[in-house]
Amino acid sequence: MPPSTVSYHMESWQHVQVHICRILGIQLIFLVGFGFCMSSSFVSCEVGGCTSNVGSTNQSLNIPPYFEKHITKSYFDKYDSLLDSDFLDFISHELFPGSCELLLDNLNLVLRLSVQQRSLIGDGSHRHLSSSFRFNIQSELIAELPIHFCEAIIIEKLPYGIFADPFELQHLLQRGVFMGAAVFGDTNLELPSVHSNRSLVEVHMDVDLNTFSRHKDGLEINIDLPLHIRYPPLEESGYSNIELGAPDLFMRCSIEAKSHNQSCLLMLKDNGVALGNGPVVWRVPSGIKAHARAVSIVTFISAILSTLSIVLTSVYYSSTKLCKNLKQS
Amino acid sequence: MEVRYTDVDYLVFSDAASLVASGKSPYQRSTYRYSPLLAFLLVPNSIIHPSWGKFLFSASDLLVGLFIHTILELRKVPENLCTCALMVWLFNPFTFSIGTRGNCEPIVCAMILWIIICLMNGKVLQAAFWYGLVVHFRIYPIIYSIPIILVLDPHCFLYGLKPALSSWVGQGNSTQSIPSTAVPESCGIWIALTSMFTRARIMFGLISGAVFFAFTGLFFYLYRWEFLHEALLYHLTRTDPRHNFSIYFYHIYLHYEHEFSVVERLISFLPQFLVQLVLIVCFAQDLPFCFFAQTVAFVAFNKVITAQYFVWFFCLLPLILPWSNMKLKWTGLSCILLWMGTQTHWLMWGYLLEFKGKNVFLELWIASILFLAANTFVLIKIIRYHTYSSLFQRLEFSSSDNDLKEGKKSN
Repeated sequence: MPPSTVSYHMESWQHVQVHICRILGIQLIFLVGFGFCMSSSFVSCEVGGCTSNVGSTNQSLNIPPYFEKHITKSYFDKYDSLLDSDFLDFISHELFPGSCELLLDNLNLVLRLSVQQRSLIGDGSHRHLSSSFRFNIQSELIAELPIHFCEAIIIEKLPYGIFADPFELQHLLQRGVFMGAAVFGDTNLELPSVHSNRSLVEVHMDVDLNTFSRHKDGLEINIDLPLHIRYPPLEESGYSNIELGAPDLFMRCSIEAKSHNQSCLLMLKDNGVALGNGPVVWRVPSGIKAHARAVSIVTFISAILSTLSIVLTSVYYSSTKLCKNLKQS
Repeated sequence: MEVRYTDVDYLVFSDAASLVASGKSPYQRSTYRYSPLLAFLLVPNSIIHPSWGKFLFSASDLLVGLFIHTILELRKVPENLCTCALMVWLFNPFTFSIGTRGNCEPIVCAMILWIIICLMNGKVLQAAFWYGLVVHFRIYPIIYSIPIILVLDPHCFLYGLKPALSSWVGQGNSTQSIPSTAVPESCGIWIALTSMFTRARIMFGLISGAVFFAFTGLFFYLYRWEFLHEALLYHLTRTDPRHNFSIYFYHIYLHYEHEFSVVERLISFLPQFLVQLVLIVCFAQDLPFCFFAQTVAFVAFNKVITAQYFVWFFCLLPLILPWSNMKLKWTGLSCILLWMGTQTHWLMWGYLLEFKGKNVFLELWIASILFLAANTFVLIKIIRYHTYSSLFQRLEFSSSDNDLKEGKKSN
């Protein structure tokens, strides 16, 4: 092929390449502008409270609008961090409106928590907390109550060193695993235990008391919550044991009143029923303090040796090549 | 599934993009530490299909292949060598899985190679624009700033003219007789200093700086300190105690309860700084090789190393292979096996720690030391077997009529 033809093809190919790159550049600018102009809502997710799909779920299940609120969100409006004593005060004084007393007394007679089973499934730093709760229901009484809709609310108060990923929960919400889920407190996914605070997970599950009242075994709620571990503080033994406490269970029902519907919240107590298989303990590997000095020394010696090797090689071979080139010229 | 195929980062990008689509800040997504540009690029994830980003990154992967071919063709590398070098990128399981897993590094690689192409075509302004953009997008290309400035040597590169490229002339032969960083004997220090400030260098510095600050300023106006902290400052001060390939991870974890002193931070930065400086001084004129060596060293000495960083130098490897005298049997194979073997060794201990809950911190740290040793060995071998070749040929001024002539080849 003559050189002029080769040159022509090369120039044409270069023009094509430039053209492709110009198109890509224009598309990049277009996408940036498009991103600016986007205003339609697809997912609404606040860090610390994922409420995605609550709207669509509401429409499909006719859930009243006053049900959308997470009951523990206001705790973190008042307190900076999660403490068991503060949370008990919060439950006692702020969660229960007085107008529901009659209904709540009736519900207390109707529902009895019989079994709780909790276990950690999986190994390593990423596991599932599997919880199962069974309630006995007096079906003849449930039909007499003016209940419109009910949901179970499970509050997991996570200890130091364990966290839930709010975005992972959001994906579970989108798949319909939960009716509602939110994480409050310290949602930083990267910090070790030493520099982090506790967090709390609130999960909402749909409960149809009338359906369950027809079953002999009663009402059963199963939850599979994905949890993750932070790097724990250093331990001499090389392992840290983290205990997961029992959750707080609530039933929130919408009742039909004369003037307007309202929601009532009932705290389901375990009535002295012990956990079916004992407390849940997560054994986590931790760094060993005794390693600190040796690790630091060897780390820096390794870095220095590598540095010297590369520096000496670079200087030697670049000067060798320079001398060779000078001789050749 | 214990280990997902889709990168966790892809979920982060997608969540940030959906926040942008609903008119919110992408930094509401925890652990989103990138430029908002990336979230804008992935807005179609929410509109068209969740895999839009993966298609985009995979297309960038192919674009990198096209650019590699272009660069080698410009330097007149024979077609068979071009094809072999290209296959090192296109069929590398590390690189094509990075894009398909949903990592954005192929976009960065494409931009870096495009900058090299622009410089080779004498288009300084274009190169400067894309360089400012890529440094805004991903901070690490800042390490290329000095070599680029040095390669815009007035003895080789005149603003507005297409420079003469040094061609491939067979392994073992260099195409440049005298490094153009050498100062002519007759020049004084003042003249030497002022001759460094050429139009090409000044324009490159000004334009790239302006582009960087323009994008940074724009997103600071939109997202304020959250953007500055998450997208820029975080990367400059990042120390991650969680396990990664870096030799520093266990040292950081064991000392995380105490703040690191300024002296400790400087000591850990010194190896990185020294290696970068020496590589630049020794190899700046051989720009693709300098980029490659700098990137390998930068990744190896960084305080945090994740697998996606390897793509940064894999995209530059095909550009230097035609100039390497290293034979596949057995030096090349030993480098490959050593690098992959130490990496697999580390991954084994990492799996036991993260997915089986075994206390193997010490073993994992030793594995990271071995991985650093492997990286050092491979880099030394590559330097040893590389044929130094300046990117640009030296220009000669004729004393009689001031016409420019191409520099003579050293053969």
